[in-house]
Amino acid sequence: MASPDKRDLLGACMWAGATVAAVAVSDSTLLRAVLGLPMALLISGHVVLRAIGVRTTSLSEHLAYSIGASLAVTIVGGFVLNAISALAPLGWAFWYLAVAIAARLLPARGNDVSPARAWLGPLRIQPWQAAAVALAMLVATGAYALAIHDQAADRQFRYTEFWMLPPAKGDPGQLVVGVHSAEAQAGTYDLEITLDGKPFAVFRSLTIAPGDTWVRKVSVPILATQQQAEARLYRPADNKLYRRVSALVPEAEAR
Amino acid sequence: MTRAHPNAEIAIAPVQGWIQSVLAPIGPDLRGNSADATPEPADAGWMATLCLLVAVALLLVVAGHGAGRRGDAIAPLLFWSGAVLMVVPTSLRIAWPDVARSERLFLLLLLVEALFYFKTVYSPTGFAHHDEFLHWASAEDLATGHRLFLRNPLLPIAASYPALEIVTTAIANLTGLPLFAAATLLLAVLKGTLIAALFLFYESISGSARIAAIACLTYMGCSTFVMFESAFSYESLGFVLCMLILAVEAASKDLVGRPRLCALGLVALLLAGLAVTHHLTAAFAAVYLGMLAALEALRRDASLRLEARIAMGATAALAIMLPVLWVMASGNSFTGYVGPVVETGFRTLLGKVFGTGIPPSEHLGAPTQPIGMRLTTLLAILLLALGLATGFFRSLATTAPRALHQGWRPIQGILKRRWRDSRIVLLTLLACGFPISVAFRLTVNGWEIGNRMGTFVFIGVGLVVAVGIVHFWQDRMPRGWRRIAPSAALAVIVMGGVTASSLEPIRGPYKVAADAQSIEQMGIETSLWTKQWLGPGNRFTADRINRLLLAGYGRQDVRTKINEGVYAARAFRHESLGSDDFYALSKSKLDFLMVDLRLTTASPILGFYFEPWEPQQGVRLSAAELLKFNTVKGITRTYDNGYLIIYNVRGLHGEP
Repeated sequence: MASPDKRDLLGACMWAGATVAAVAVSDSTLLRAVLGLPMALLISGHVVLRAIGVRTTSLSEHLAYSIGASLAVTIVGGFVLNAISALAPLGWAFWYLAVAIAARLLPARGNDVSPARAWLGPLRIQPWQAAAVALAMLVATGAYALAIHDQAADRQFRYTEFWMLPPAKGDPGQLVVGVHSAEAQAGTYDLEITLDGKPFAVFRSLTIAPGDTWVRKVSVPILATQQQAEARLYRPADNKLYRRVSALVPEAEAR
Repeated sequence: MTRAHPNAEIAIAPVQGWIQSVLAPIGPDLRGNSADATPEPADAGWMATLCLLVAVALLLVVAGHGAGRRGDAIAPLLFWSGAVLMVVPTSLRIAWPDVARSERLFLLLLLVEALFYFKTVYSPTGFAHHDEFLHWASAEDLATGHRLFLRNPLLPIAASYPALEIVTTAIANLTGLPLFAAATLLLAVLKGTLIAALFLFYESISGSARIAAIACLTYMGCSTFVMFESAFSYESLGFVLCMLILAVEAASKDLVGRPRLCALGLVALLLAGLAVTHHLTAAFAAVYLGMLAALEALRRDASLRLEARIAMGATAALAIMLPVLWVMASGNSFTGYVGPVVETGFRTLLGKVFGTGIPPSEHLGAPTQPIGMRLTTLLAILLLALGLATGFFRSLATTAPRALHQGWRPIQGILKRRWRDSRIVLLTLLACGFPISVAFRLTVNGWEIGNRMGTFVFIGVGLVVAVGIVHFWQDRMPRGWRRIAPSAALAVIVMGGVTASSLEPIRGPYKVAADAQSIEQMGIETSLWTKQWLGPGNRFTADRINRLLLAGYGRQDVRTKINEGVYAARAFRHESLGSDDFYALSKSKLDFLMVDLRLTTASPILGFYFEPWEPQQGVRLSAAELLKFNTVKGITRTYDNGYLIIYNVRGLHGEP
């Protein structure tokens, strides 16, 4: 009996090697996707089917089984890489390379894809049919782009964010106060800060355009007792308290 | 020999005739020609035309969502015309009698990917469904922590079933794609693989590509097919692995020697993958393969080889042992997770049937859908019931010994344990679960069971309905109404799957506590703010929707409980913070509470704001309840955008 052809396994090894190289040296998502997606979802399963020697009777069956085996190989890979603390891009690339090389080194058990029941058979495609399929792909892609555009443009709520952060551990005397506008138009605000109810700082006529952020660090004294800081955002246009936030200023640490 | 009672026989004859005419539609006679007479090649003209039609349909669906976002009244017309244009022509062609195998398979793939696109454009740049956020949080943890088994407070059991996150992060790591893109690509591949596996499985056991294609179409009528099994959730991967296992097992039924052993090797690999992917699907695979082995043992057939029995026994043993071993090894509480849901569901259903006590939450009533959607679902259920009634005995008859082909003799043969393929017997019996799953879906508390059951029960329903259509409705030489009506009925069944998959599939304005309909830009940006200004990993609690956003976009450590045994709902209810709740909050490890004042504007669509089991279900929240934290000493108000407020509760634990 003739020895089964192992060129596909050699090709898988080369593909896996190229994936390792791409992951190691390239930041190109396109290049890595072109190499990595087939590796993770198809090729690794194909080499496992060849290594086990599973018989398939049609291309559709072989593709389905290859994808299933790829999923299983990837799951096993997750556990192996976790055990050796290598759950990272290069770890994955080397895992698939190891699987491909192992399948190449195992004795071959035959490639049993029957050409008689290939997936689409001897399909003859007319030019208008190819054009219709290309147009369909264009329309579907355009529709997805339209969906993304609609989502980005969808802002049901208009609002102004107002916040006050307590002093950080490394920066004990600094409060952070911020305003961000997600309104439809620019707004003017007055901002007042009190410390234990007493006026401490005032910022008048802050004009903030949609999408803009205003942030200030405000130095506060550290006392022997804890203080409560409060910031109020007013809209001068209608003399209205618009937002209110607060923070605790911790007491000085005992020496 | 003389007849004793000729008059009595004359009287009985019309009754017998009437009974026979009534029984004929449900009887086991196999009239149809399931053989695929249509040769290859496929008709490329049909395939190209349908590709174009489906693309136009998807454009209409997207336009419907866009109109829904803007509040235009035309949204339902655009959306549903797109859905009908996507489903009906393709379904009609797939179910048509004279179509080549490869064309049926191509069109099934086209339809299933179109349905996935249909699901994805609801939220084209991010996850939108509840369970997707739970797994997204786990996947982000894995991607950033580079370790498995990290705790997920929103879905504790997910840590023990990390396969989906492993595969997604593997793709993201290899390609450099964001997790959402990696997950979407993975799900698209999974949907195609699922339909291919289903087709191959049905084809292996029925020997007919036409029956296989019709069975796949019928499966698409399952309420979980369009949305639930397309979501970024561990079931989506688990069910694909499960169907591949069933397909490989069925395809290997006639293999002997080494090829059979090789197929068993692949099944073992897939079973191992399934054991760490999803608990319920692994349990179903174990039950299916266990029962298959039992039926093979029961079967009276000398032709069955010992080798085949051993292979089936070994497959069943693996299917049972691997998930059990994994549960023991990972120490997860599968029964504790599933048990209460099953118990409440059964108690509710039995309570409704026998008129005994039912849980109070049952009185809240289920959220309603537009009348057109409900009618379509109802019509699809009726057509499925008709298909089951005409296909049940015929499905059994397809596996009866060939010598028994007259009248009810095939069924008598089956009852005497004489059949040719145990898979067909098992799937036909499995289809009996359909009315039970529908009954569960009619209750609020049992809905979850009925919905999950559907995923598995429909494997049997698909086969039985397909046999009914081919061997009764389409008959030997389908012409006239026999050509059109069954295909049209299948298109309605697929549409029923679309209408049953979601409460409100058209993107619209924000709604209170309605899962996907509650997720919008302001909530997302507030969660992103927490990551930018507070940093990730703070302990937060909030209502159900904001918890998801905080875990996904905010990367916060989100808790459903304030303390052990104290659920978040307790802190948010009541207009003043009682001493018990104050004590629980001060003893907790929480850093922040988020309140959403929009919750006070309407009753929750799903019936609850925080948890399905919250005590005050259906009672509308008030602003006073949510704003009570303004006056609690030790609690400060860190963030306010007019709708969403973040309270810092570290002061209760003596921290700033």
